[in-house]
Amino acid sequence: MRTKIRYVATAIGLSASLVLVGCAATAPEGGSGSAPSSIVIDTAFTLETGDPGRNYVPTGYMVSKALYETLLDFAGSDESTPVPGLASYEQNDDATVFTFTLADGRVFSDGTPITADDVVFSLNRVKGMTESKANFLMEGIEVTKVDDKTVELSTATPSLKLPALMTNPSLAILNSKLVIENGGTTDNSDKAETFLNSTSAGSGPYILDSLDFESQVVLTENEKYNGAEDIDFTRVVIRSVSESATQKMNLEGGDSQVAVDLSGDQVAGLGDGVNVFSTPSAQTIFLLLNQSADVAGVTANPEFASAVRYALDYPALLELAGAGSEQATGVIPPSFLGALTDGVEQDLAASKAALAASGYAGETITLEYPNDYPVGGVSFTPLAERVQSQLADAGITVELAPAPFTTQIDEYVNGREAFSIWFWGPDYADSANFLPFAAGAKVGLRAGWTAEQDPAVVELAAAAENATSMDEREGAFSAFASALQEQGPFVPLIVPGSNIATADYIDGVAYNSTWTMDIAELQSK
Amino acid sequence: MGQNTRATREYPATAAPSDTAQRTSPERTAPRRKSPLAGYLLRRLGMSILLLFGVTLVTFTLANLVPGNPIVAALGEGAASNPATVAAYIEKHGLDQPLPVQYLNYLVNLFQGDMGVSLRTGQPVASDLAKAVPATIEVAIGAIIVSLAVGVALGALAAYRRGKMSDQVVRVVSLLGLSIPTFWMALVAFNIFFLQLGIAPGSGRLSPILAPPPTVTGLYTVDALLAGQWVTFMDAMAHLMLPVFVLSLFTIGLLTRFVRTSVLEVLDADYIRAGRAKGLSGPRMLFGYTLRGASLPILTIVGLAFGSLLSGTVLVEAVFAWPGLGSYAYNSATSLDLPGVMGVGLVVGVIYLGINFAVDILYGVLDPRVRLA
Repeated sequence: MRTKIRYVATAIGLSASLVLVGCAATAPEGGSGSAPSSIVIDTAFTLETGDPGRNYVPTGYMVSKALYETLLDFAGSDESTPVPGLASYEQNDDATVFTFTLADGRVFSDGTPITADDVVFSLNRVKGMTESKANFLMEGIEVTKVDDKTVELSTATPSLKLPALMTNPSLAILNSKLVIENGGTTDNSDKAETFLNSTSAGSGPYILDSLDFESQVVLTENEKYNGAEDIDFTRVVIRSVSESATQKMNLEGGDSQVAVDLSGDQVAGLGDGVNVFSTPSAQTIFLLLNQSADVAGVTANPEFASAVRYALDYPALLELAGAGSEQATGVIPPSFLGALTDGVEQDLAASKAALAASGYAGETITLEYPNDYPVGGVSFTPLAERVQSQLADAGITVELAPAPFTTQIDEYVNGREAFSIWFWGPDYADSANFLPFAAGAKVGLRAGWTAEQDPAVVELAAAAENATSMDEREGAFSAFASALQEQGPFVPLIVPGSNIATADYIDGVAYNSTWTMDIAELQSK
Repeated sequence: MGQNTRATREYPATAAPSDTAQRTSPERTAPRRKSPLAGYLLRRLGMSILLLFGVTLVTFTLANLVPGNPIVAALGEGAASNPATVAAYIEKHGLDQPLPVQYLNYLVNLFQGDMGVSLRTGQPVASDLAKAVPATIEVAIGAIIVSLAVGVALGALAAYRRGKMSDQVVRVVSLLGLSIPTFWMALVAFNIFFLQLGIAPGSGRLSPILAPPPTVTGLYTVDALLAGQWVTFMDAMAHLMLPVFVLSLFTIGLLTRFVRTSVLEVLDADYIRAGRAKGLSGPRMLFGYTLRGASLPILTIVGLAFGSLLSGTVLVEAVFAWPGLGSYAYNSATSLDLPGVMGVGLVVGVIYLGINFAVDILYGVLDPRVRLA
């Protein structure tokens, strides 16, 4: 009997402990992380470093944007015109010399004034670190100090993209004295990354409290910040939550206040108490049709590409993409200079004529795509299946060949895919990012499209690259985009949406194609 | 396993003939000989080291056989098109060396405690794993404790109540535990207990408002206790609840079935009948004789289940945003982070070998005949 009583007592004790733990679950200090001065952001981490000069991935950009400032910036979601950041600028008529003048009185988080030396060091550091993924941003740019407040950036050829480049968080301005003291140099011997993984050395509205590459980054208010942002949240936790279903539930349950990676379908199912900011992203999902006969055989000609282009029912493809998405009107997405206003419409007669002219005789064409890498919530497998079905209606037989992203990308970048689905996103907010689609350029060559095959497009790309005025530039980019739409080996399909969901008391979300959103702009209503 | 069970039936551990033989053996008075258990353990240790070497060779070979270019995967399209960046990257990571040289370098570095630098995180793999492994160990230990408590109880109950309604219910429950996909169960449990009922916390190891305790073991519950941070301890315990619950369901199902079978075999043994005839019953009979007699096969399953929990939590970790070994393995594999993949392979190998080693030792503890074998 006594033994029984002992067992019953033990069971009751254990149950009570579990209940206590359960209670603790619902009410850790300060509730479930929703204190007004703090905010929790859930996102699928792409974070490799705390060093802005080495960063090249989205979560890293979001973090860098909060910790550091750049010479120029964008206001909200308007990425068409750079605005002053740490500096304002002027350019010469040839668009080869850009003179930046630092704003007065700005300081780093340790109170040190920001000078031209910091600018020269920071930009030359990225330029010198050839192992940095961001190194290419400084390609062809010379940095010269004019005086303590003025820096000159020059290029050998016209470069109207340079102001947009200077908004990229990889080109953030660092506290040169502090970074040099901790191993910073302007060449490949730089050893400051370890220091920057634990301490921020910038002038942004936040400072780095802690950084764990696998779980979370914690930012706290920079009390020395004297820039234009007026932050509402003094503590920000950016958490790694790879599963978007978990992000959604965390947001709905109040464990987080911002979910960054929800798909169009998921935001459609969100209930009250949540705000959703849906907008077209800057990614473009497209079909690639290789123009090299060695790779693509009989389908390696522009007529076959046209047959595919006019065979597709684009609104039906768009159904797979959900909120915020749009039909791609060309290789340049809608928010960028030179983007076309209208996309291709299905024209089965034109498709049939082009198919007949292409010499296609019913061969089975293999469509390759990465099957484990959704872009903006768009999974490529259902997209490929729908393309296959639509092309079958137009008389083109397609077999699907999915593979993991890491396997597939090597084939793609080396131009070994005849027919595939891929995507392209900008590295910085300028239409020059899309010139690699030209014949003989990086993406063009992946499609086996050499400069000799289409010199007219090469000339259009050069005109866009070397334009010296904005009007001239816009026209040149539009002409480039139109030419690709008519005769290029690419069939742009979808610009997927970016869906950022927040608790309903949060405002100020503005999508940016590089840093996703500026945390400092989030406000409590 | 079957052999052990049969032997146990004939010679219960508490009164094994070999035990008597040992007491009367002339060996007791002879000069002391080397312990057979020590020799056995040394042999196992030597074998384990050889197996570890094999694990490094297999993981290295497999990692390098995977189609794809780790440079493109690691640098991304933009940077991979910059020859200077690619050249610097290849040189930094020694990727220009022939594969045998890379493997030898890996082994040499491994002996010095250097598992290489992750191509994905840019951090030393050893330091990445030092964070990921404790996170998984913490949840796996919780799951195995719950599984043992519930699985043994249910299994024993079902065996004692063989053929009755409670037996049928337990068998159905264990079948459900084995059949329900863990990933689906994780999502459902998170939805019900966190979102709908609000009795479980959100994802992760701690509430965002709390800072992790100072690292000693990497187990948040233990480190919080060591630091005297009770709120953090309770919060870490709360965050363990759902992952432990979900992970233990499968193991409970497995254990219940094994315990039931083992106990049923033992219940037919002569020594149990003799014990009953002498008036033994209740917990003493259950824990002192029945479960002890059935413990060897159960121990084997527990060892395998624990190893499986440590190395197979990828999907559950994804749902609960648990930054453990499973997440690290998945992220490393999908980004062709070969040093990361090899590091995970090595750690999983060490875990399995360590668990097998521990199980072998426990065999000796539970059954003296094993020590003398």
